[in-house]
Amino acid sequence: MEEYLNKGIKEVITEFPAVDKILEEYGIGCGPCSVGTCLLKDIVAIHNLPEDEQRVMMARIAKVIYPDKVIPLPPATPRKETGPKELKYSPPMKALVDEHVLIKRWLALIPAVLEDLDLSTEEGRNLILQGVDFIRSYADRYHHAKEEDVLFGYFDPNLDILKVIVQDHIVGRGHVKAVVEGVDRQDKGAVAEHLLAYRNLLTGHIKKEDEILWPWMERNLTMTQIGELYAKFQETDQRMGLSTEKFENFIINLEKKYKA
Amino acid sequence: MEAFQGCPGSRMMDFSQKKVSEGEEPTGKIESQLRQWPIQLHLISPLAPYYRGADVLLTADCVAYALGDYHRQYLKGKSLAIACPKLDEGQDIYVDKIKAWIDEAKINTLTVMIMQVPCCMGLLNLAQEAAAKATRKVPVKYLVVGLQGEILQEEWL
Repeated sequence: MEEYLNKGIKEVITEFPAVDKILEEYGIGCGPCSVGTCLLKDIVAIHNLPEDEQRVMMARIAKVIYPDKVIPLPPATPRKETGPKELKYSPPMKALVDEHVLIKRWLALIPAVLEDLDLSTEEGRNLILQGVDFIRSYADRYHHAKEEDVLFGYFDPNLDILKVIVQDHIVGRGHVKAVVEGVDRQDKGAVAEHLLAYRNLLTGHIKKEDEILWPWMERNLTMTQIGELYAKFQETDQRMGLSTEKFENFIINLEKKYKA
Repeated sequence: MEAFQGCPGSRMMDFSQKKVSEGEEPTGKIESQLRQWPIQLHLISPLAPYYRGADVLLTADCVAYALGDYHRQYLKGKSLAIACPKLDEGQDIYVDKIKAWIDEAKINTLTVMIMQVPCCMGLLNLAQEAAAKATRKVPVKYLVVGLQGEILQEEWL
């Protein structure tokens, strides 16, 4: 079993598709992950399942991998308690979650924007470029920079889940570059393809962060680290001097236009 | 038996029959995690060196007696002040001192620990008022401790 505990989840799922269904039952949705290099043992720890559930889940996975053997399982990872009820996000983590809300509002608007896409007019091209500016300035420079430059520095950079998240950022930047090139060529198909691909990527990416990564990080940050993070985020925001109001207004105006 | 009519904070209760299992008994000498003096909020200077950039713990007087593992779990690594929002006088000074922690001593975080009795909420209100008046913002967490040392609530302000 040790061998599979130390294997990337995608590899395990490819070899044993039934494992994906078992993980799903426990709210661990690794199947659609674009990278899937997280080790099976890390996934179990990161999801903070109660120890008895962990044991049952691992026994079921072992049964799939070794149907004819009785496999000794490693002890369940002790669940990190967060008090009598789940601790709400600390201020720095809440800031990241709140930033996701505006990004998700933009993602929700993309299909309507694309339906209305007209790259033959300057107005139409500008709308897409404003969307690109929102992604590059707000979602990437303002939000992802805080993750990559500050938050991730508190964790082991070799953790597969961090590699997955950073890889999503890189792939996202590639789609955005392709959108800009599509606008330059007035290539509607390329703009639509890459903007939709960006939307799909970010939707899954935000879900991974909100539901798995942030709660896990929150459980592992000390009070001192939370204070440091908060101060560093404020410094980063000040240094960037970015007015978030401009981006909020961009979204509000689009929502009025497409939801009216 | 007549229902108790007075202040819940002063209600007489006896926990002496509570059994502590063998496994819960600490063995060996328990080291104090206190790293400063004084600790009473009237006596401390908010600009004392041990508050600068520190994770500060503001604890209601009774908490450390109710909570068995207070030193190891909560005081460790933090700078401390204690106060009683029910009995202490001159609590305006408390607001000024907490504000000075945030703005001048530039503390890293503030944790407020109070008892579950209603009067103890006053200490959290003082901290909240000071944090609202402060120019700097820092993460502020509060914990509510039950009469027998259980953590009833843990939240960020």
